[in-house]
Amino acid sequence: MPPMAGSAIDPPSLRPPIDDAIIERIAPAQLRARLQALKNEGYAMLLDIGAVDYPQRTPRFDVVYHLLKLPPQVATPSEIGTPQRYRLLCGVPVENPMLPTVTDLWLSADWAEREVYDLFGIAFEGHPDLRRIQMPTHWEGHPLRKDYPLRGPARERSPRPAFANKSNLVAGTPPTGRTAQALQEQVARARRAQREGAEDHEAQ
Amino acid sequence: MSVLGTVSARPLEPVGSQILSQDGNAMVLSMGPQHPSTHGVLQIMLEIEGESVTKAEPEIGYLHTGIEKSAENLFWTQAQTVIERMDYLAPESNSLCYVLAVEKLLGITDRIPERAKQIRVLIAELTRVASHCVWLGTHGIDLGALSIFFYCFDLRENILDLQESTGGARMHPNYVRIGGVQADLPDGHLERLDALIEKFPARMRELRALLQKNPIWQDRTIDVGVVTPEQAVGWGLTGPSLRASGIAYDVRKAFPYSGYENYEFDVPKRTEGDAYARFVVRLDEMEEAMRIVRQVRKALRPGPTMIDDAKIAPPPKETIALSMEALIHHFKIVSEGFRVPPGDVYQAIESPRGELAYYVVSDGNNKPYRVRTRPPSMYNLQSLKGIAPGNFIADLVVMIGSLDPVFGEVDR
Repeated sequence: MPPMAGSAIDPPSLRPPIDDAIIERIAPAQLRARLQALKNEGYAMLLDIGAVDYPQRTPRFDVVYHLLKLPPQVATPSEIGTPQRYRLLCGVPVENPMLPTVTDLWLSADWAEREVYDLFGIAFEGHPDLRRIQMPTHWEGHPLRKDYPLRGPARERSPRPAFANKSNLVAGTPPTGRTAQALQEQVARARRAQREGAEDHEAQ
Repeated sequence: MSVLGTVSARPLEPVGSQILSQDGNAMVLSMGPQHPSTHGVLQIMLEIEGESVTKAEPEIGYLHTGIEKSAENLFWTQAQTVIERMDYLAPESNSLCYVLAVEKLLGITDRIPERAKQIRVLIAELTRVASHCVWLGTHGIDLGALSIFFYCFDLRENILDLQESTGGARMHPNYVRIGGVQADLPDGHLERLDALIEKFPARMRELRALLQKNPIWQDRTIDVGVVTPEQAVGWGLTGPSLRASGIAYDVRKAFPYSGYENYEFDVPKRTEGDAYARFVVRLDEMEEAMRIVRQVRKALRPGPTMIDDAKIAPPPKETIALSMEALIHHFKIVSEGFRVPPGDVYQAIESPRGELAYYVVSDGNNKPYRVRTRPPSMYNLQSLKGIAPGNFIADLVVMIGSLDPVFGEVDR
């Protein structure tokens, strides 16, 4: 998809932070040591691991760790107060989409890392059970990447006579390389085959 | 606790090595995805030794609908419609959280009218009660207590009626909007709310009388699925499930939003960490939620309910026929939406299930660049892997019920 006028290539770098978290950007090589240090500092809860795809940027992906400084012991609201939030952004190149796992530091990282792997194709080295979690096991592609078609590659390939012309003219040539004309030929072939099949059936 | 005289002490510790070492006795059992007590489409791969669970591996994704991907292809206001469908038992908490995040990106958080903020709190708390009603009713059914379901759904129906009168739909009213709420509360809404406030204490006493002191219920839930504070924090538990383990972390207290700092309420907590503690914490929460509702009801004053900014909120419908600018603004907002300055923000709220958050990235266009959800249900459900081993299969449904997962949110 071509960038629209005025669209930012790297939005998080453009603006001073809006929320009250401490925000840090880090390279994959230092990530594990930094997270280990943060855990020792008292960030006992890993709230979430998310990822964002910036196709125009190098490195292409951002993996975002949200941490919360919550003591793992019985505490009242006043003892907790306003716990510190920490946001760690880690750029991941598309050539080597691989990060070290943190499942041994936080139990909650398990499914979070599986989801990033499933939807973005970023692997986590050392994860005990790195399988797809949301999509079916044999799914093709990683849906939340920006170059993944909204309807999915399978839909993109199958002929859809009623919409084929329109959607392809609007969208231009799809990533699969098919043109509207090729699609119409495919539809015509399918119809011809169907018709001939029916005639054969009648002849018999 | 053996009321029926047949129940012995349950093995609460993880199954010891002497059982695990008996090779060949373990059986793999697939529970779900169409099991009636899994609250949706959840499959659990179980490894069992006799009646005891030695390993439980929840398999999710049966309800994955790609909401985060869809949201990237819709305008900022349209995306809210699909986002509201994540947690279908508490839809308004989803839209509230998303709306707060977008408002932070737009920099209009301070300009939201007071009445709109109050109505948002009102709706969020009513949603919490409605959501806990569904949880309590279905949790009861899982354990064979059928009557509570009808009491709960009667109460919930009153709240859904109120929701319907605000946004027009029972389940997904889409009433909270970027910049305020869609319209002022309709005529007669507050009278019905008063009737609900009137009705609630007696109904709550009935709910408590049905189960809280019920020896069978206690027998099924006490000391089942115990989560220690360390485990709770490690698994990323939030909401009532975390507070039942003794950590009274509540986003409404820790990071107040939408004016929660103006209301007085307690954060219920227990220290046992078992299914019964989670049950009691949620019941207490329903009462606290209604306490906030009563305060909001008192504090409600007439005023605008939408931000006075035609670049974000369409001008009132009745001005369209009179003003050219109003017509143009209306047309622009409907046909191409509005642009949001580039940046990223993490906004959390206390949903009925825990810390619900959206990490929203804007690249300056009229569509969200990325909406990442922090789904509390998913992290709560994940902890089943840690707490199920060592318990009986029959207690598994107790644990699932007490964690209160909603699969629209787990799978998105």
